[in-house]
Amino acid sequence: MKKKLKFKNFSIYFDQYLFITITLLSVMGLIFLYSASQGDLNTVIKQSIFVGFGLFLMFILSQPDPDFYKIFSGLFIILAIILMLATMVLGKEVNGAKRWLNFGFFTLQTSEIIKIALPIFLASYLYNKPLPISLKHTFISLVVICFTFYLVYLQPDLGTGLVVFMAGIYILFLAGLSWRFIFTSIGCIILSMPFLWNNFLQPFQRQRILTFIDPSSDPFGSSWNITQSKIAIGSGGMSGKGYQEGSQAHLNFLPEAETDFIFSVIAEEFGFFGICILLSFFFFILLRCIYLAYNARDRFCRLTIGGLSLVFASTLFINLGMVVGIIPVVGMPMPFISKGGSSLLSFYIAFGIIISMATHKKLMQK
Amino acid sequence: MIDFDERYAEKKSFFNRLIIVYGFFGLAFSFFLYQTYSLQVSEYIEYETAAIENKTKEILVQPTRGIIYDRSGKIIVNNVPTYDLIIKPSQIKNIDSFLADISLIIELEPHEFDFVRENFDIKARYNRELIVKKNLSEEQIAKFEVRSYKFPNAFIDVRYSRYNNYPELFSHALGYVGGVSNDELADILKNQELRQVETIFKYSNGFQIGKIGLEKTYDHILRGEFGKKVYEVDARGKLLKEKEFIKPINGENLYTTLDINAQKVAYTKMNNRRGAVVAIEIDTGSIVSYVSTPSFSTNAISNGISSKAFNALINDNNKPFFDRASKGRYSPASTIKPAIGLFGIENNIIDWNFSIDDPGYFILPEDQRVYRGWRKGGHGKVNLNKAMIVSSNTFFFSLAYKSNIYELIEHLSDFGFGKKVCADCFNPDLGLLPSPEWKLNNLNFGWFKGDTVNMGVGQGYLSATPLQLAFYATILANKGSAKELSFIFDKNQIENLSIQTSNIDDLDWNRLHASMIGVIDSPIGTAKSLQKLITHTIAAKSGTVELVSTETKEDYKIIRENEGNRDHAIIIAFGPMPNPKYAVSVVIENGESGGSVAGPVAVAVLNSLID
Repeated sequence: MKKKLKFKNFSIYFDQYLFITITLLSVMGLIFLYSASQGDLNTVIKQSIFVGFGLFLMFILSQPDPDFYKIFSGLFIILAIILMLATMVLGKEVNGAKRWLNFGFFTLQTSEIIKIALPIFLASYLYNKPLPISLKHTFISLVVICFTFYLVYLQPDLGTGLVVFMAGIYILFLAGLSWRFIFTSIGCIILSMPFLWNNFLQPFQRQRILTFIDPSSDPFGSSWNITQSKIAIGSGGMSGKGYQEGSQAHLNFLPEAETDFIFSVIAEEFGFFGICILLSFFFFILLRCIYLAYNARDRFCRLTIGGLSLVFASTLFINLGMVVGIIPVVGMPMPFISKGGSSLLSFYIAFGIIISMATHKKLMQK
Repeated sequence: MIDFDERYAEKKSFFNRLIIVYGFFGLAFSFFLYQTYSLQVSEYIEYETAAIENKTKEILVQPTRGIIYDRSGKIIVNNVPTYDLIIKPSQIKNIDSFLADISLIIELEPHEFDFVRENFDIKARYNRELIVKKNLSEEQIAKFEVRSYKFPNAFIDVRYSRYNNYPELFSHALGYVGGVSNDELADILKNQELRQVETIFKYSNGFQIGKIGLEKTYDHILRGEFGKKVYEVDARGKLLKEKEFIKPINGENLYTTLDINAQKVAYTKMNNRRGAVVAIEIDTGSIVSYVSTPSFSTNAISNGISSKAFNALINDNNKPFFDRASKGRYSPASTIKPAIGLFGIENNIIDWNFSIDDPGYFILPEDQRVYRGWRKGGHGKVNLNKAMIVSSNTFFFSLAYKSNIYELIEHLSDFGFGKKVCADCFNPDLGLLPSPEWKLNNLNFGWFKGDTVNMGVGQGYLSATPLQLAFYATILANKGSAKELSFIFDKNQIENLSIQTSNIDDLDWNRLHASMIGVIDSPIGTAKSLQKLITHTIAAKSGTVELVSTETKEDYKIIRENEGNRDHAIIIAFGPMPNPKYAVSVVIENGESGGSVAGPVAVAVLNSLID
């Protein structure tokens, strides 16, 4: 349970369930990464440093009172937007995309910060608004959501952009967006689909979606990745080929085996049983988040926990859906498992904040 | 601040909405789990196979082609291993600078430069290898190997050259080999149940397949079966380790009935004149000699020839590529007379005592048209025996005149005219045995009695290949039957052909043979000039194929100024009599005299075979 350990005048805020599960996932991630990187110890050591630092960060970020986040949420998002703008100017370009800001010892993927800052900001904006959320507040929220989405989209990073967009929408929805508004917008979106298709998507993004709908239209392009991923997963069978025995990963058929497609490596080597066990950890984390949201001390905490846990669930689902070929390839890491810096850390930060929201109580309320 | 009720409503709304969103996620995850279950459990076998196929690569191992022997076990065609410098044209961007670089290490001859430049584009397009230089010395190999890192797209490997020990002697009989085409390779691999992916482009290199002649007819036996090496590969196709090796089955050797000596004699005696010689072992129908001249070197064709040299061969007026022995059509001329004579006996039109007076011409009663013999004034009183020896046209004109054309066609067909007479010859021509229907359909004219009369002396529309003439000679020698001709000893599949007779007995055959012996032996025989050449008794019938019809010898002298207008010389012969073992046919284009020009070649071949 939420723990508040008293050491004289000093309290420590801590959720052992989330902490243990996330630590276990992170350790499993390191083990999988060792295989996926074909026994590259450097990669694993670098990742362990991130994991260690991440767990520490999670612990630290659990300590401040939610009011701290509430008060500074405006500052956070402004900071995040400044970083995003800085990335546009100073960022290093990789494969035609500017997503990273170089800090010398660490390159930061700035969109990962906005993914967390946006829901907290919206939660702090909406927590005291009466139900249902008025059109005015809805509009202001949407402007912020679309603006941040657009910043990420410009990089371009459609995958993270969509997660940012969804993060905002989750908060708005959970905060009590009026149903009439929801149904009207869904109608508008459906009607404006063709326009979005023609004007908003890059040709390669359209190609990915087309390929997804009809894989034979692009036999050696992006569907090569999906084909190889499916072969890796399928050939794992019920119980897998064994640790470090996956031929698809070890003979380099699987693209991005350490990052986006690490799930395929796990599925190949540990089979259906293995992934069921792995996914049960994620399932437990999400259940725990629902419980924590339900028992949170106030509306701001509820919204933040709900929003951040849904960002987590979305990222996970986009990654899983992509590797088994039920959604197009957008480039999304598997939380706590895939190799990575910013994206990995962002979830430790998110859970640090979730734990803070869940463990701090106000005696006067509820 | 919102009050307590509102807060309660807010909390309820929040929780409901959270459950709705998670409900969607629950559905999405179920779908994901279902998809994973399908991949890993329902379609496991399919994906397991795909993963194995991904990481294995089969490399074909080429079999060695069978060796071709002559009837006495001497090697005619062999495989010679050479170390060759080979390049991958599809990987090389600038061939000129490449050649400049490589020629600093391995000196190249001008014709080798030409060969590479000529073939570079096409080999690059089809992703084939190209041999830059053959038969490298050890020193050249060493020089290249230490610098091979500079030339990632060149390598030295052993390649087998198809080497004919008698390159011009057997060119038409055995044919030659060449690079395999993609379609041909696809067929071969399909027959061997080998996977075709990738292999076609990469491993057809250097594999040779028979293109014409026996190399083609018996290609399926000679080429053997591919073996394969199975490797584990990574995604880049890098070979990691060998997992399986199935050895290739080398091609079977081919033991032919050809006789190198007879072949040499025939080729030498032909002396590059245009024509053909075919000799048969009578008992078995085995082809012992098969020559078409002029010839060409199969070694050059099989192992790469410059387009200049190739064009020279193609454009040669004497057509060295043309296989006259089985594709050249010639009128049988007077060599048809034994068959016509037999037809007369068989159908009781004549007997051996029947005689006519030969004034040197025959007048067709229907239209008074004159059909002339070769000798002005004629041969006087002639019976069948004398008509054969002196080759009286008048006798056979009048005999043919009395013949039913349909019966005559059937009779000639029994001798192999207009039919396939060889079991394993490469794509033989069937000649032409004309019929009234054929003439109506092809020339839009009805059959005249004169056409039948012309057929009686083997002129007109009737034509046959030297191969068919040799078969015809074999049937005559063997008294009415012969095996279908072939180049191999195994006669199980070989048909027995014979002529249908009811009225011809052994005595008739002996008399016919006697008359054909008389062609050489008799002082009035048309081939009496051969008497001094023969070492055994030989039966023969010579012929002279008229290309341009002339009334008088003077007229002929004028037209013979143009070599192409001169008569073809033709002869069929067999011996030794009375029990003939070998039969032979010789055609020499524009050779003019069957007896004295084609005859010596036939006699020389028979002499060499009999002795």
